Amino acid sequence: MIRFGLFRIGGFGFAVTLEQIKKILQNSTDYSLPHLPGAVAAVLVDGGELVPLLDLSLLAGAESQLSNITQGYRVLVKSEYGIVALPADLSGKIVAEQKCELSATNEQKMNFGIIGKFIYQSEEYSLLDINFLALEMTQDIWQNQFDTGGARRHK
Amino acid sequence: MLAFGLLSLKNQGVRTVLGDCMTVVGDRKLIFRLGGMGFLLDLSEVVEVVTQITDSLDPGRSDIGQGIVSALQFRQTWIPVVDPALKLDVESTVKMRDKTAVILRGTEGNWALLVDQVDKLMAADNFQSCAIPSLLKVAAMGFYSQIQLLHNEPMIVFEPERYYGSAVVSV
Repeated sequence: MIRFGLFRIGGFGFAVTLEQIKKILQNSTDYSLPHLPGAVAAVLVDGGELVPLLDLSLLAGAESQLSNITQGYRVLVKSEYGIVALPADLSGKIVAEQKCELSATNEQKMNFGIIGKFIYQSEEYSLLDINFLALEMTQDIWQNQFDTGGARRHK
Repeated sequence: MLAFGLLSLKNQGVRTVLGDCMTVVGDRKLIFRLGGMGFLLDLSEVVEVVTQITDSLDPGRSDIGQGIVSALQFRQTWIPVVDPALKLDVESTVKMRDKTAVILRGTEGNWALLVDQVDKLMAADNFQSCAIPSLLKVAAMGFYSQIQLLHNEPMIVFEPERYYGSAVVSV
């Protein structure tokens, strides 16, 4: 049975498979570092390792909404390139696949870094392509892609 | 605010006061803050920490091309003042006159590093090494190459040679 973690940040709902989730932290401390890429909001420390915090609210619009979230989770997710943290408010939940309505996404209309859409209790959640986002949001090429409105797939 | 008696050093110079324990100076780290971020510096590179610099600054003697924002009168001579916040693109709310100058020993003379505040001295064994994740290595390139953790907070290992060259600059 496949299960998904469903989260929201600044009005943007996103989903990741449970097996991709390493850990969910609450009230962890974020730290800034010089010259972080524009889509990396901060880093956090987990188990003695630095983890980049991706500003997923950028997926929903041009402006970051992270500063509006005073309390929340940091969802640590495994990618091919290392662990990344995703910010989320406290409405997160874990649900089985069969409880969601998976809408097949037309690849031509797919948003950047999103490989599918879930509907759960009338709310939409975007299934993230974590490998794609981890790489592109940390290499400072995110803004360029965002500007294109990019509908790209990560191979 | 400053631990390990560093406050008592500010008018005497680190080398002088630590004269009895110079063998352990290299095992200590000076922690300073810039835009809220933590940095650590090997104490063996520090000559003195000067907290009152307003009357000793001459901003007219600058060479922005070399990162020099001012000159500081230190021990009867003018030395270059480098603001690392410029290169690091760090936003600091502390005005220049309120900053602290960490006087560093260069290959061709002393120079001053402007920081928001000096926190404390810590023994090196308080720090835990921490690899920069591969996803952030490109971002760090050219600015820092090591990070250590102090009580789970990342501290950037400050590498002075990245901020001020060995050539003497007339100020």
